[in-house]
Amino acid sequence: MNRLEKTLPRPKSTTIYGYLLPGTLIYVFIVLIPLGLSIYFSFFKWSGGLSKAFIGLRNYGDLIQDAKFWFSFRNNMIITVLSIIGQLGIAFVLAVILQAKWVRFREFHRTVLFLPVVLPAVVVGFIWNLIFSQDYGILNGLLRSLHLSSWIRPWLDDPHIVIYSVTVPIVWQWVGLYLIIFMAAIQSIPSDIYEGAEIDGATGFRKVIFITLPLMMDTLKVAVMLCIAGNMKIFDNIYVMTGGGPGMSSTVMAQYAYRTSFNQFKLGYGSAISIGMIVLSLTLILLSRRLMGGRTVER
Amino acid sequence: MNARTVVTGGKLLANLLLAAFSVFCVFPILWVLYSSLKNQAAFSRNIVSLPSSLHFENYSKAFWDGELYRYLGNSAFVAAVSVVLTIAIGFVTGYFLSRFSFRGRNALYAMFLFGMLVPTYGLLVPLFIEYRNLHLLDSRLSLVLPEVTFALPLVIFLIESFMKSIPTEMEEAAYMDGASLTSSLFRIVFPMCRPILSTCVIISFLNIWNEFPFALILINTQELKTVPVGLTNFVGQYTVDYPQLMAGINVSILPVIVVYLLLYKRIIQGMVAGAVKG
Repeated sequence: MNRLEKTLPRPKSTTIYGYLLPGTLIYVFIVLIPLGLSIYFSFFKWSGGLSKAFIGLRNYGDLIQDAKFWFSFRNNMIITVLSIIGQLGIAFVLAVILQAKWVRFREFHRTVLFLPVVLPAVVVGFIWNLIFSQDYGILNGLLRSLHLSSWIRPWLDDPHIVIYSVTVPIVWQWVGLYLIIFMAAIQSIPSDIYEGAEIDGATGFRKVIFITLPLMMDTLKVAVMLCIAGNMKIFDNIYVMTGGGPGMSSTVMAQYAYRTSFNQFKLGYGSAISIGMIVLSLTLILLSRRLMGGRTVER
Repeated sequence: MNARTVVTGGKLLANLLLAAFSVFCVFPILWVLYSSLKNQAAFSRNIVSLPSSLHFENYSKAFWDGELYRYLGNSAFVAAVSVVLTIAIGFVTGYFLSRFSFRGRNALYAMFLFGMLVPTYGLLVPLFIEYRNLHLLDSRLSLVLPEVTFALPLVIFLIESFMKSIPTEMEEAAYMDGASLTSSLFRIVFPMCRPILSTCVIISFLNIWNEFPFALILINTQELKTVPVGLTNFVGQYTVDYPQLMAGINVSILPVIVVYLLLYKRIIQGMVAGAVKG
């Protein structure tokens, strides 16, 4: 950085700021001002019309006692925990297998496993709606043909299982991303470490546990953070799959904020929910960063 | 059973596991693809069998009667304008962030990083209010600024780290020849960044094409809706006709699938670099 400056003539500050202005302005307009507005509106009881009553912190008092909000946060947490186990676990196992010399069709697997990542979450939701469908879904069809009819469930209509049902597509969609991240990390492990271990008699499974896993710790931490950040803002799939229902059973925070603001027109309270959601997400991200020790790697 | 058979068995098992998971990933997509060519009667007779006769009319019906052509056009317009702006702004911002130090640089950098971490869905309500107060809702350009904003951080970081890897000699030489900052920026640096810029174009395109919640709240007029939101309308209309529904789904993801199959190496690389950065 400093080396570069010595040789490149530095333009006038006004020029630099001039070039940086468009990006900054757009950002201020779309992120910072709305954020400020959100805080401002959260102090009001407001249904979107002309009358707006200042109520101080009462929205936040309500929010803290709002069982529905905490229930939707709980749903975010269930999805996050299952995703960390499911996405990262599956991705890790597949990444280890894919790195082995004897694996066939590596390129094919990589391409196919990553494909769901680029699909719109809305479409992933619709596809899984079809899979879970009561009469015409593949899942129930499969169970029927395996003579497991007793396992057939109304996957998206049973309030006790729906939160797990909506998690499956989320895991399905994102395994590929973590797979590729893990594969890159495994590739960067120098091969002589493995060779040394082989001389000492280490076999496949032990090499994974004692070499691959420890050397991938930094990447795993980044992956956990990404997973938390991603699942705190989950919305699209669930919106199209269940709309948060039946009842509240699959409602997540973003869905709750949406419903409160746009279906019930409580814009003041909706703003407070939004702020609560941002605070909770950032806290969890920073907390996970802290708990896993130190700063994450920059690549 | 000796050690060798155990190892071979393990390898076979691992290959099978991998194959099973790949099938699990791709089969739902294929199922939707081929079932879309059946009619409802054939589909309800057997949900997994291949179609015995091909009903391409599902597609023309989805495209015209289901008005997907309109949504595709709107999405293409929003994506084109937003991608151009994202690249222009992202390139310039990334360039200055990586090449020069100036007062406020770190703050600016942190601001864009924050943009990658903050749950953007928390902005749904306030952005809607802001847009409504400024009468910006429901226009052909309503979605451009939010899409640019959410696509920008990734582009800035990809450009910024790419710039670090290319030496300054070319720019210096341009200055020697009397070139201005602007002409060195767009005549020398921009062409050198072409590989990373094309990655940026593809990934921003995918993200913008797929974006749902902001398109849902900022656009109300049927004629202006983009593909993901339009698709929810379409699905609402044809809930009983599964193959018809599937045809609609396929039309809406066709551009994404084509782009992916042509450019998957770039996409995978860029998305992973961006994700790890965030």
